[in-house]
Amino acid sequence: MTSELPYAADAEVSLSYDELEVLRIQYQKELSQGYVTVQTKFNYAWGLVKAPIREHQVEGVRLLQEIYRAEPTRRRECLYYLALGHFKMGNFDEAKKFNALLMEKEPTNMQALSLAQLIDKGVAHEGYIGMALVGGAAAIGTLLVAGLIRRATRK
Amino acid sequence: MSFTQGASKDGRKNDARATLEPITTSTSSSTPSRLELVQNAIFSRFSHRKHDSTKIFEDLAPVIMTPRMINSTANASLRQRQSLGTAHKSSLSKSKLDFSTLGRAPLRLGLGSRRITSGDLQIVEATDELLESEIPEPDGVASDVSLLRGFNATIPSSEQSRTRRRQMRNVDTPRLGLKKLGMNARGLLTEDEDHDHQSVTSEDDVVVVASGAGTLKGKRRGRESLSAAKTLGKDELTRQTKEIMRDKENIHVRRSLIHNEIAEISQKIATLDGIRVKLEQDLLKLHEDDLELDDELEGVKERMEFEQSQRPQKTASQPFHLPHTSRRRRGPAFLPSEHDELPPGVAFMSLDGHATPITALDFSEPYGTLVSASQDDSQPRVWDLFSGTEIGRLRGHSGTVKCVQVEDTVCLTGGSDGNVRLWDLKRVDADQADGWGGDEGELVTLGDVAEEDETAESQQESNGIRNGEEPATERNDCCQRVLEGHTKAVTALYFEDDCLVTGASDKTLRQWDLTTGQCVMTMDILWAISHPQKTPGMALPNNLFSGAAASVGTFAVPTPPYADGSWEMYEDFVGGVQFWGYGLVSGSGDGAVRMWDMRTGQAHRTLIGHNAPVTCLQFDEIHIASGSLDKTIRIWDLRTGGIFETLKYDHPVTALQFDTRKIVAATGENGIKIYNRTSMQHSTLQTNGHMQPAERLRYMDRYLVTGGRDSAVKIWSL
Repeated sequence: MTSELPYAADAEVSLSYDELEVLRIQYQKELSQGYVTVQTKFNYAWGLVKAPIREHQVEGVRLLQEIYRAEPTRRRECLYYLALGHFKMGNFDEAKKFNALLMEKEPTNMQALSLAQLIDKGVAHEGYIGMALVGGAAAIGTLLVAGLIRRATRK
Repeated sequence: MSFTQGASKDGRKNDARATLEPITTSTSSSTPSRLELVQNAIFSRFSHRKHDSTKIFEDLAPVIMTPRMINSTANASLRQRQSLGTAHKSSLSKSKLDFSTLGRAPLRLGLGSRRITSGDLQIVEATDELLESEIPEPDGVASDVSLLRGFNATIPSSEQSRTRRRQMRNVDTPRLGLKKLGMNARGLLTEDEDHDHQSVTSEDDVVVVASGAGTLKGKRRGRESLSAAKTLGKDELTRQTKEIMRDKENIHVRRSLIHNEIAEISQKIATLDGIRVKLEQDLLKLHEDDLELDDELEGVKERMEFEQSQRPQKTASQPFHLPHTSRRRRGPAFLPSEHDELPPGVAFMSLDGHATPITALDFSEPYGTLVSASQDDSQPRVWDLFSGTEIGRLRGHSGTVKCVQVEDTVCLTGGSDGNVRLWDLKRVDADQADGWGGDEGELVTLGDVAEEDETAESQQESNGIRNGEEPATERNDCCQRVLEGHTKAVTALYFEDDCLVTGASDKTLRQWDLTTGQCVMTMDILWAISHPQKTPGMALPNNLFSGAAASVGTFAVPTPPYADGSWEMYEDFVGGVQFWGYGLVSGSGDGAVRMWDMRTGQAHRTLIGHNAPVTCLQFDEIHIASGSLDKTIRIWDLRTGGIFETLKYDHPVTALQFDTRKIVAATGENGIKIYNRTSMQHSTLQTNGHMQPAERLRYMDRYLVTGGRDSAVKIWSL
């Protein structure tokens, strides 16, 4: 199946406020009527995921999870979107899980592969930061200890 | 961390980190270099109000990034990647301890702009559960229209190209003031906006012709058409065609989405409908149980009264005591505990002894005594239902016995000889050896047989009666009394306490007093037919059938064929009688159900409806049920005479009995038909049933006895 999944960069482009507002109004209207169609929910969720605010992204991922639960036929696509949403939020673990499951189903999916690379990069990057922190903490520690020892030897 | 795109709306108060200026453009490849990553990280920090400590870490980051560290990090990340490449679940748990978690730590140390909310936790917790669920192959709409395609088709900006094209087609014309026109047409006040553009004129001459109206030449040529005024150019037009095609595709997408939704909703409605139907059936079942409980309550009340009255009455009872009728008893019967183990709807016992079709049967109580009569046999057989064996016979009649009623130990039979005989079933002789000799001395009395009988007198009777062999002594005849009076076959009878009503083919009904044995009243049906009661609002019975039946001397009607094709001449003018107090109901061969007043002997109401002779009848406080050869059972209202219900069958109805919940009928088939009155469902009892049409039946609580043309008497558990 050739799915039209967006590349991760598309998730970075957020909709205009008005557009998101329109989607939100549509979603609320259908919600008040009691039956929300899958497309409306997805539109709103995708708009939220693309938004820059973290709360929106969280909400978007939550809606995507609802779609995932409710519509078995849409689950394969939702895997990708969930992975993308988690990736954008920084939950690399979850993103990795979803993306791995997707790649089990579709090993040749271009977007999934590129997302996998992105996630790995993100994980590695955080690794660097962690490393940096540890190194920095070690450096500070050694400086302090050195200072103490010097003080002790001086006295 | 994220590469946020600063396309946020003006005026919108975003969080600090969202206002980051783009470092990478949106159309670039999604693999920025490592340096850019680090730059991003560093720059993203600057917009926070943060602790100084973390700031120092950031500053130190380039210092820390010595080649050695970079190598080790590369190894670490390689290790990570490898471990991630294997089974993802186990590796992830391991990687939790690695540097990436450490790297995430400062971000999660309660920094103001990035709180972990319950939403975060919720989605994280949900992931595991979601990953467990199955992912089927997408089919239907999901494979035609991906979510993203639908998104692109339905977001508001998909309308943009259309509005843009419309604007392209806008032609610049001098101001026409159309808005003002429109507003005036609607009767609204217009706002004066365009004073600058026009001189103050009246509204009449607002329409200004296009420019160039001054010259003569222009006038003659006329105005150019609007569409020629503007050239769009080939590029623009091709672009427009592409846009239009895309819009059409969008519409197609939206149409398939809506179709899919409609199909889903229809399916949901269907399932909900199914649930509703089931719930309604449950309601009916509850109603049925309610009616059953009502009957049980009545039975318990009667029992209580009976047991109350039983205690003081241990006196010597008369030699012959007429018991209380069981016909109207509604409550549950006392059954042996084993009866519950019987599968319902199965004939578990069969009594074969007769050689000709069963014409009448009745029993005293479940597992009690059964009396059955058959064609061409003037001696009804007496059976013990507990053991399923024949106890004896009732000798006396000289023709076929056509109707039987058994109450405790008393039995009344009516035969083709026109006589009605009253029998004491306690004196039935088990010894058949003497044949016609009648009831000899040695008895196996019914008192010996274990019966759950309410009357205690049987015990005392047996003591007085038990004799030795006395051939020539006074015969203790079963038959206590013979009631003579009818000139033709007695085809229906009903007795209660001391009063008996019989119907015969001489087209009369007679009321008898059982203690004296005298006929108290005779009611002439022929007279009632020819002198119908003229009640206001009731039409004259205009039934051809009734007229014909009345005029013919001997009444004989061919029955419609039964299920096996057999038929016979039906000659019983009175199909059924029943009375309660002084109200009597009779069903007769003219197809009419008549209600008589036994005090006056007049039929005060005639219920017309059946087109063929009525063969069976029963009534309770509210309904009368009558079955007839016209293959229907009609249920009438006792008080008004209107018809509640008509049940149609395929063959003539020969016997019926009903209560508040069901009607059990013999309708000319091998199986017994049961109609559930609350759920209006028909069912059939066939298991181990009759081989030929069933013709007679009687039931009490969950115990049913039927007799059929195959000469068998079968006992069912309901």
